[in-house]
Amino acid sequence: MSRIDLPSEVERNAERGAEVPLLRLTGVTKSFGAVRALKGVSFELRAGEVHALLGENGAGKSTLIKVITGAHAPDAGSIEIAGQSVMSLDPAQAHRLGIACIYQQPALFPDLTVAENLGLRLEPSTAWRRIDFAQRRARAVELLRRVGAEISPDAEVRSLSMPEQQLVEIACALGAGARVILMDEPTASLTRREVERLFELVRDLRREGVGILYISHRLEEIFALADRVTVLRDGESVGTRPVRDARGRPTLTESELIRSMVGRELNQLYPPRAHGIGEVVVSVRNLSCAASGVCAVSLEIRSGEILGLAGLVGAGRTELARVLFGLTPADSGEIRIHGAVVMLRSPRDAMEQGIAYVPEDRRRHGVILEMPVAHNVSLAVLGRLFRGVWLKPKPEQALALDLISRLGVTCAGPQALAGSLSGGNQQKVALGRWLATQPRWLILDEPTQGVDVGAKGEIHKLIRDLAASGLAVLLISSDLPEVIGMSDRIGVMRDGRLVEVLPGGSNASTVMAAALGRSDGDGKEGV
Amino acid sequence: MSTAISVGKPSWWRSEFFLVGVLLLEIAIFSRTGSNFATAINALEIVRLSAEIGLLAVWMTPVVLTGGIDLSVGSLLGLCAVCFGKLWRDAGLPWPVAAAATLVLGALGGGLNAMLITRLRLPPLIVTLGSLSLFRGLAEAITRGVDNFTGFPSGFLDWGQGYLVGGIPAQAPVWIAVAAGVIVLVHYTVFGRALRAIGHSPEGARYAGIAVNRCVAWVYVLSGTAAGLAALVYVARVGQAKADAGTGYELLAITAVVLGGTSIFGGTGSVWGTLLGVASLAVLRNGLQLSDQPGELAGILTGVLLLGALSAEVGFKKFSARRRASVTLASSNSPS
Repeated sequence: MSRIDLPSEVERNAERGAEVPLLRLTGVTKSFGAVRALKGVSFELRAGEVHALLGENGAGKSTLIKVITGAHAPDAGSIEIAGQSVMSLDPAQAHRLGIACIYQQPALFPDLTVAENLGLRLEPSTAWRRIDFAQRRARAVELLRRVGAEISPDAEVRSLSMPEQQLVEIACALGAGARVILMDEPTASLTRREVERLFELVRDLRREGVGILYISHRLEEIFALADRVTVLRDGESVGTRPVRDARGRPTLTESELIRSMVGRELNQLYPPRAHGIGEVVVSVRNLSCAASGVCAVSLEIRSGEILGLAGLVGAGRTELARVLFGLTPADSGEIRIHGAVVMLRSPRDAMEQGIAYVPEDRRRHGVILEMPVAHNVSLAVLGRLFRGVWLKPKPEQALALDLISRLGVTCAGPQALAGSLSGGNQQKVALGRWLATQPRWLILDEPTQGVDVGAKGEIHKLIRDLAASGLAVLLISSDLPEVIGMSDRIGVMRDGRLVEVLPGGSNASTVMAAALGRSDGDGKEGV
Repeated sequence: MSTAISVGKPSWWRSEFFLVGVLLLEIAIFSRTGSNFATAINALEIVRLSAEIGLLAVWMTPVVLTGGIDLSVGSLLGLCAVCFGKLWRDAGLPWPVAAAATLVLGALGGGLNAMLITRLRLPPLIVTLGSLSLFRGLAEAITRGVDNFTGFPSGFLDWGQGYLVGGIPAQAPVWIAVAAGVIVLVHYTVFGRALRAIGHSPEGARYAGIAVNRCVAWVYVLSGTAAGLAALVYVARVGQAKADAGTGYELLAITAVVLGGTSIFGGTGSVWGTLLGVASLAVLRNGLQLSDQPGELAGILTGVLLLGALSAEVGFKKFSARRRASVTLASSNSPS
């Protein structure tokens, strides 16, 4: 009798899946230049399971998704789909083999109708074909019904809400006969109600034997939904564990999960704090900016102090930096520098107040790749260096040579184009440009992202020296050990708010828990 | 791994050498085919004829350096010309006052472009395409398509038809002074550096604290003022102001800029190159005329010249890239 009802079918699917997993990765390795994004990751996805993938920023989740969807070819390792080894996977082939991915931002054509979008993906794409509009529409109706969406197939996609677009994506995956569905933070922009509907749909899909790889930062969702969880850390799989035992009791706790995500030794040495901290340089009170989602942030940084800013991607750290630098002016709140209230409406205003911002996107914002190093470092001091209107090659050259030697930039000389330098050296040039302005307050956004280990150490030492010379430093970083090792205090942001300020050298798990919002996660369990 | 140096040396000198070659070739050919081509008087005549296009082209250079374009200058020249005629003849203003008002009108026309481009963030191509029609339409409305302003006082016409000592055309000093001014502005001032930064990466320039909107706005205002000045020079030279004055000049000006090696994507380029571009176009037209060749040949050869110059540049870059690649390959092979 118990053989007939649904849960047992799930078990049976799971058992069958256990023999031949829908997807098996063995020893997958992928490097980008010197950065090893995946180091021999192995894992398998069974039919009829929701498999959660967890890891902090930069642990390799996105790379793993791209390997599975065929966007990146792995350097080593093998991929098996339904027991068959796949030698080279490209996106079209992944699609044929029944792999679909639902991204955070649905990738539909906004100007086409739902039926047209589905038709484009699901109908054979030859240039000269007859389109059976009635059939296209009928299929759209059928697929939308299967995902339980009350959407007209004739609606233009741009008129749909984000969750509705997600449903269209899922309908599309079903229409393509997908057996493996990847979901990359599908709930990031959904309301509670919408999340519940999505979960029901995911459970339905599981019942039908689809394997779902579910990526989310929200631990409570993983406990509510997932059957097993795999944790990635620094491009390696820490292990796969079931979320519940046979009787449905949880087999692991949130803190265990967090520990396994951050459980990395501080194997890198950070330059020690060897100087005192002075008077307050910056004080920010209730700073908000609706356009960029920054909400009521208050903070204080003293001369010689490094305030770290941790948080997940999308927590609003870069957005806060942009408000502080006048790129997106604040709606309300107050910024004081050395006690005086300042208005920051443009980067120029911020510069005049002695604020310097080394942005996250080095190649687009930090340096101008097509310009020589000398022109890059003088760009923010053009008016000051030349006192007025005339370009003077000599002081510019001198400035460039000075910064090149002070920061240890490896380049052919001041006339070398910034685009010809390595990532770490570009970062030093971006930093040099702002040091030339002799700032009082330095905002660093991901200063060591994509920088090799050697240059990373040098940049850390530079930051420490700058703080020692009396600068106030705001250090935004997704690299937990870096934030913890470098900062005197650690601010943690979540959803545009500064939720906690922890002492320097705090436990990585504590910082991670604050970033994940675990403290209020307990109340939401069972969403 | 290839190291620092090679990735993209400024390439302007190559197009300038190319243009000097073209210019020498043109002179060599027309000296044989053209009657009275190789004379000092003709050389000065070429300076006179190139003044209007030249004024538009040198100011077009900073516009293109920021990654923009100004298609409206030819039409604005027409509008300024008929407004000058109207102010002098119908409003009865003395010609220097009317001339000053014409320059202001040019600046306002450029200001309209500047405002739409920086405030509404519309693409310069679209904005100036619109104002191209708008300015020409206004010029036609003012003259109702038929009116022709003539009979300007000789004090004014002397600026376009007269000579200074040694047979130098009267407009030459104006034209040379403006060109020199733009060279200084673009190559020797902080403003010029900012324009290049904006052309390479508007966002990057903003992050470096450059007032991007203000710089871009100035460039269009100055380009409009240049159209006003060119209108005065034009009216003084031909002695009349009709609504169709300067038709197609914007394309000749852009041709000269691009021929001079300024990248249409912004960032790199030089005013010297533009001057050479203007010269090679003017010599081509003048030489064909003196050689009794039909006028349409000038259009054909201008096209051939521009496409040839661009192809040569791309070809040269590919060639040097391939050579660089083979060098890198050889050096990376050698250790193994």
